[in-house]
Amino acid sequence: MASHPLLELQGISLSFKGVKAINDIGFSVREGDICALIGPNGAGKSSLLNIINGVYQAQQGVIRFAGTERTRMRPNEAARQGIARTFQNIALFKGMTVLDNVLTGRNLKRRSSWLEQALRTGRAPAEDNRQRESAERVIEFLRIQPWRHEVVASLPYGLQKRVELARALASEPRLLLLDEPMAGMNAREKQELSSFIVDINRDLGTTVVLIEHDIGVVMGLADQVVVLDYGRKIGDGTPAQVRRNPDVIAAYLGTHP
Amino acid sequence: MTDPTPSTLPAWLQAQKRLRGAEVALRHKRLGVWQVLTLTQVHSQVLAVAGALQRAGFGAASSLVIVSRPRPEALLGALAAQWLGGVAVLLDPLDEASAQQEVVRRLAPDFLFVEGLSELTLATAAGLTPGLLFYADGRGIADPSLPSWAQLAAQAAEPLQPVQARPQGSAFGFHRLAAGGVLESQHLSHAQVLEAGRLLVATECLVAEDEALAARAFATSGQARYLLGPWLLAGFRLNFPETLATRDNDRRELGPTFVLGTRHTYGRLHEALDQRLPVPGSLSRHLVDWALAPGNGLWQRTLGQWLIRKPLRDALGLSRARVPLLVGAPLDPAAQALFVRLGVEVRAWPDAPRWQSTQDAGAVAPHGALQPV
Repeated sequence: MASHPLLELQGISLSFKGVKAINDIGFSVREGDICALIGPNGAGKSSLLNIINGVYQAQQGVIRFAGTERTRMRPNEAARQGIARTFQNIALFKGMTVLDNVLTGRNLKRRSSWLEQALRTGRAPAEDNRQRESAERVIEFLRIQPWRHEVVASLPYGLQKRVELARALASEPRLLLLDEPMAGMNAREKQELSSFIVDINRDLGTTVVLIEHDIGVVMGLADQVVVLDYGRKIGDGTPAQVRRNPDVIAAYLGTHP
Repeated sequence: MTDPTPSTLPAWLQAQKRLRGAEVALRHKRLGVWQVLTLTQVHSQVLAVAGALQRAGFGAASSLVIVSRPRPEALLGALAAQWLGGVAVLLDPLDEASAQQEVVRRLAPDFLFVEGLSELTLATAAGLTPGLLFYADGRGIADPSLPSWAQLAAQAAEPLQPVQARPQGSAFGFHRLAAGGVLESQHLSHAQVLEAGRLLVATECLVAEDEALAARAFATSGQARYLLGPWLLAGFRLNFPETLATRDNDRRELGPTFVLGTRHTYGRLHEALDQRLPVPGSLSRHLVDWALAPGNGLWQRTLGQWLIRKPLRDALGLSRARVPLLVGAPLDPAAQALFVRLGVEVRAWPDAPRWQSTQDAGAVAPHGALQPV
């Protein structure tokens, strides 16, 4: 397990029209770890994810990613630096096929100009082949080959979630942000997706930060758990440590050990 | 014209490689693209893996247990073992796990080839410590001491002895756990596989231009006799699906001319067909039934052919199926009738495996200890 943090947040605060959504939050995630953000609805989990990948700009605080410190960053810059994400509500191109959706995740990896791509000259044809091969590797990794030519809208919900994960993986991220990847799934689908997240982490070395409400899944998957409550961090540690944390028990788990 | 003298499977591979080395022998879909292996490449990979087996002590009295779904490595591994005069014991990883584990435990093989992590876990759970254990798909396998198929196949083929297999020697072994926990076996000799293959090639007029798709039930005597044997004899292309889940798509893409299936295979196709047809009793279903009914009317034949039969056969990947064969249990009469109306006349070939109860000790190892049946 690597000991250097890939992601560090210090004193992050975010307000919406004077209402504090996130209040002075700081934690770090080591490279190669799976970190779960948990907390009740409205605790600020998704907002925090949006800050990490630049959708929201924190009013205070510093984010350090791969050793580079920044206070503001746009989502496309975050993607270039190796941060990819999936969304709470599936955000795929529903009218496109699985393969085409995954290929969109490769856009930032293209080096040919738009003119070369439009005319299919110069670097474009060879690059197309490389992009297709990379997309196919992800499709194979997530075992969605049987549906590669299916239109996404025709797929069941659990598979669409997997396609969204594939699109995020296609950009070869160092940090993968997953916003409630298992929401709405049945037990079998959750187990399946959990094993894919473990595979991604283990085989590709991708660091994962995920929001998940299923505590059983979190405790089985995560190396680190960060607990938020009303925009504050109330716990941070291994699953075992968090499970014993009295603040967490009182605020979130709601039971005594 | 092929050399009439080969009398074992690896000898046939050698003969085919001499005659048509540059031609495509196998195709396997990987990363969405059909990858090809010529007869020369197949031959060199078989030799490389046979060399690795030999260095690990594999000999004419040895068996290589193969736990894999249909994939080229499983076939080539079998040929490598047979080259050295040994037996390829095929086990289906889709069989019930606890029974499978028990079979593997009792076989206690010295040489084991597994498809991937789940098959490796099966071997580990059975407490096995084979002399050589190698795998095809390294995903999740963290043990660096285990060689992969690719590593073995990439090694330079060292000078090997000529083909060690004997016509009456066992080529394939199959094992199962029968009622009462008795281990049952059946062995097929090279001569038996080739004899059945020759009969099939001659009867069904299989030629080098044919295309076949390996079926799910790879580890069966029927596949050995009616697919693997004919592949070496006729020299057609044998295609392996990307995964079992994609085999219907792969069949549609390929349009194989030779389809060897079981009752389960055709039953699945029948179900897929049923889902595409209009609901029984509806007007459109009556029209479909009318168009498919045997008759001589020009309209009926033309409509049936172009509007129903052809699209349905395309959808099932049977558009070019010239030799649709069935091994094992007979088809359900309704399925048989529907295939006939589609113009796909499934022909049954006999497959009556004779399972023998065997002693645990030496179930796999001694060459010739079990008489081929």
